[in-house]
Amino acid sequence: MKVNKKPAVSVGGASSEQPVLVVDKISKVYQTNSGSLIAVDGMSFSVNPQEVVSVIGPSGCGKSTLFNLIGGLTPPSSGKISVSGMPVNGPHPSISMVFQEESIFPWRNVVNNVAFPLEINGVPKAEREEHARRFIQMVGLEGFENHTPSQLSGGMRQRVAIARGLASEPKLLLMDEPFAALDEQTRLLLGDKVIQMQQELKQTILLITHNITEAIQLSDRIVVMSYRPGRLKRIIDIDLPRPRTSEIVSSEEFGRYVAMIWDDLREEASKGMAAADSARATT
Amino acid sequence: MTAKSAIFQKEKWVIPLQLGVTFLFFAIIEIAIELKWLNEYVLSRPSKIFFAFHRIIVEESILSYTAVTFMEVLGASLGLIFIAIPFGILLAQKKVLWQAWGDWVSALAAAPIVLLYPLFLVVFGRSPMTIIVIAFLTGFSPVVIKTVEGITNVRQVLKDVGRSFNLSAYQQFKLITLPAALPAIFLGLRLGLIYAMITVVAVEYLIDLGGLGNIVGELAERYDLPATYAAMCFVVGVSILFFAFLERLEKWLT
Amino acid sequence: MANIANTNELKANKTGVSAKLIVRIVSITVVLALWEGIARSGLLYKDVVPTISAILYGIWEVLADPTFFRQAGVTLGEITLSVILGAATGITVGIILGSRPFFAKIFEPLLHYLAPTPKIIFFPLLIMWFGIGEGSKIAMGTISSFFPIVLSVASGMRHINPVYVRVGRSFRATAWQQATKIYIPAMRDPVVNGLRLAFGVSTIGVLLAETKFAQSGLGFMVTRYYQQFNMPSMYGIVLIIFAFAIFVNWLFGKLIVEETQ
Repeated sequence: MKVNKKPAVSVGGASSEQPVLVVDKISKVYQTNSGSLIAVDGMSFSVNPQEVVSVIGPSGCGKSTLFNLIGGLTPPSSGKISVSGMPVNGPHPSISMVFQEESIFPWRNVVNNVAFPLEINGVPKAEREEHARRFIQMVGLEGFENHTPSQLSGGMRQRVAIARGLASEPKLLLMDEPFAALDEQTRLLLGDKVIQMQQELKQTILLITHNITEAIQLSDRIVVMSYRPGRLKRIIDIDLPRPRTSEIVSSEEFGRYVAMIWDDLREEASKGMAAADSARATT
Repeated sequence: MTAKSAIFQKEKWVIPLQLGVTFLFFAIIEIAIELKWLNEYVLSRPSKIFFAFHRIIVEESILSYTAVTFMEVLGASLGLIFIAIPFGILLAQKKVLWQAWGDWVSALAAAPIVLLYPLFLVVFGRSPMTIIVIAFLTGFSPVVIKTVEGITNVRQVLKDVGRSFNLSAYQQFKLITLPAALPAIFLGLRLGLIYAMITVVAVEYLIDLGGLGNIVGELAERYDLPATYAAMCFVVGVSILFFAFLERLEKWLT
Repeated sequence: MANIANTNELKANKTGVSAKLIVRIVSITVVLALWEGIARSGLLYKDVVPTISAILYGIWEVLADPTFFRQAGVTLGEITLSVILGAATGITVGIILGSRPFFAKIFEPLLHYLAPTPKIIFFPLLIMWFGIGEGSKIAMGTISSFFPIVLSVASGMRHINPVYVRVGRSFRATAWQQATKIYIPAMRDPVVNGLRLAFGVSTIGVLLAETKFAQSGLGFMVTRYYQQFNMPSMYGIVLIIFAFAIFVNWLFGKLIVEETQ
């Protein structure tokens, strides 16, 4: 079990190639009515090829801001982000985003939702549909190609969103709490699906989450964030054997990681809770 | 008329700008008529319309026509309160009735009921009763539908709280169901009153009887253009005040 | 105006289908029997409550009238054209208001309060401007249908789920692609709903205008039957109009795909 107290640019991971994602001293400051709010403060880390990295932190620590920064939807106040050596200024074709909210289009069926990024890039209809079917199969939704979103469960809809993210064959799949709205059991089982998919595609993934179990279950490394300002607290390597399944959550090793991360998070989460309570008391 | 979004939050600059835009609109028309771009025989000068206001109030006593219109709206609203709401409550209590009739009531909301006004002319003659009844009928379905919706959508947990205190059926209705459904009922009543008001003015105009709709028609037939325009502005103003009043009332009551 | 018929939850309760059918049959039978009883007893004015057979004959008489389909065509043409004109202006203005908060702040409250005013009072002017023929009826219907469309488009545009726009951006959709693949499909329901309401108010506007001053159209026929005291045929034509309006409203309802959630 290896713990890096200092943010390191390239630690862990199997490959010595250049990292897929480099986040370099990134900061984001919002101007609000009551002064400026530092959402993300000088964070640096990187994600290596085929690696799964989670960013974990308490609610309100700036995780979602980080997601939008890396996805290029929000420009940073300072710092640099690059993907495969290319700078990220706005949405980058090598990054696919999977959103926390229900984001698949209710007016499109499953195939057309998954084929959406290909359609945007002008891939011919027959070709993009065939391509989409492959990813639908990969997330275990074969047979539902022509269903509309309203006919699917919440878990199935998020799988469609993941398949849509994969369909553009990104170098980095960037996910923001994709399973936040689902129950714990579904979440664990979908975790298995993500692991399978990751193995099959050798997909590099950055997962933003507040769920400790999910983070350990899926990740090679976990980036722990502090509460306001959102800073990198530390990076923890997860040395659990691969391939993993959800059974791993009952292992002793797993429990130790949970304890370790909770130890870090508890302090931050209680800061967040105190801030939320006092904000409520003043209004 | 759904959710009040940020658009309706008043900021200091909004009202002056709205007044400014309105003034600009009238100024442009005035200038266009002055420059003979617009024909003065179909469109009156805003300045003349403005002075005609005095005339329609003093000579044509438009205020008493307004009172007639509001008496008719009041008549229709009594019908909505004492017939439509109880009918909605009945339908909501007896589920099977709503299942059987619900679609019909909704369909009725889509039918142009005002078109039946000649029928009531036969029944009641050219009397305010004709106007009141047809106005009541056009406001009927929204009131019933919203009443049923309000009662049916009372959260189960609130009903369970009542049951846990062993309330009688009457107490359950009076202490739990009715207060919980009241916002929806008021919303329905407001919609119903808007429909009733529109119908009252329309039928007054169509059958040349009674209040505001009637006087607009009369002035138009006399070809008194400035007064016609002034009366129209007056009717629009009165109905806007009426809707604003209903909105305030609904907010205050709920 | 307002969407009154939000009865999905109410309809969801499917228990007692047979009881529902019985109530329907019983209530229809009771109403018809009462009606026929009153008609035959002559308690009420005989003309006001004609016998059912007389009304059925009235419907037949209307349909058999050689001018009926021409008159219906006139009215239908007026309504269709007015909804098209109302939609063209309403959607354009609605998009401007929906995308420019500054304009929305100034104009939307004005439109919101103007929407439920009785538009028919403008009809005397419309006759002056567009003549006694079809022009004034179309103008009447256009004014009526503009308001529900503009308000529902503006609010629909503001209520597009922002995550759909973010998805489009994240996949680097061009402005044109954002418009055609995100905004237009996401706006479908509010636009259809606006058209549904517009059809309703424009039908009322056109028909009422026709009952006041006209030489053709179904509203004109209603007035003519009234003046001839031909109540069965007046019932007949009004029932035909109701059935048509309810049918079109139902068709629009079918077009609305409700969003998941």
